[in-house]
Amino acid sequence: MFDIAFDNVNEIIDMNGHGIYVWSVYSIAISIIIVSFIVAKNRIKGVKRKIKIKNAPS
Amino acid sequence: MISAFIHKFSSPKSFVQITKTLYPLFIFTGLSMLIIGWTWGLLFAPPDAVQGNSYRIIFLHVPAVIFAELIYFFMALCALMHIVWRVKLAAYLIKSAAPIGAMITFIGLFSGSIWGIPTWGTWWQWDARITSTLILFIMYLGILTLHGSFSNLEKSDRLMSILVVIGVVNIPIIKKSVDWWSTLHQPASISVSGGSSIDPSMLYPLIISIIGLGFTLISLGILSSRSYILSREKNKKWVLKHV
Repeated sequence: MFDIAFDNVNEIIDMNGHGIYVWSVYSIAISIIIVSFIVAKNRIKGVKRKIKIKNAPS
Repeated sequence: MISAFIHKFSSPKSFVQITKTLYPLFIFTGLSMLIIGWTWGLLFAPPDAVQGNSYRIIFLHVPAVIFAELIYFFMALCALMHIVWRVKLAAYLIKSAAPIGAMITFIGLFSGSIWGIPTWGTWWQWDARITSTLILFIMYLGILTLHGSFSNLEKSDRLMSILVVIGVVNIPIIKKSVDWWSTLHQPASISVSGGSSIDPSMLYPLIISIIGLGFTLISLGILSSRSYILSREKNKKWVLKHV
């Protein structure tokens, strides 16, 4: 169960011609998830900044 | 009594405090399990006898569509809480979960389409499963658009909750579509009630990927809801203290 299914890196990339489908799907999905986290983190920072500015002593 | 219990444990303040503590645990568990599940599935699981290596998309596609449906189901429960008991937090959670639901449904549709090219010879087919999942994606976008269309946020919350409850009828349709109609999409390979047509060498990394993506999406939900709650409650004392 824990033997690697490929003999070398080229086989991993190519996956018998299916690599283009497999790797493109994973890369795009991972990118979308990472961007979602960055956007969510930035939103929190933005909201906190706005609240601080609004309530800053003049 | 139920109402008092729900109101006690559903204050936005408690939610932000509790989830702030849980976030590091959830994100660590989610990412670790995703890395293990995907590495196992992509590199160590054997190729499928019929589909070859293209089946490895399953470790992303299946978790994505499972959570596309589960997030909507969660939103429907929140919508009921908001309509029946007027729980503010429930509406905030719907608004925060909808973009994540749309994102993961898009990933499910996209990964399925790419998987369809080598497997079915087409990237799209108007069959029951794919079409009902596309409707789910449109529902998510509709919910977000509806909520953004009103300046009165309380009214938006209420209308959004009603739309979410109406749209939940699509979830059993997605689930049962492969049984009710003859579709290009294959029937479910794994079931909660037991029984699986997948070999354990493929099933275990799939289960780990499902749990990993679940925790990762909960972590994303925590961040998304935190920013939305802070912006909606910005005039409250506890928010000023928190910031």
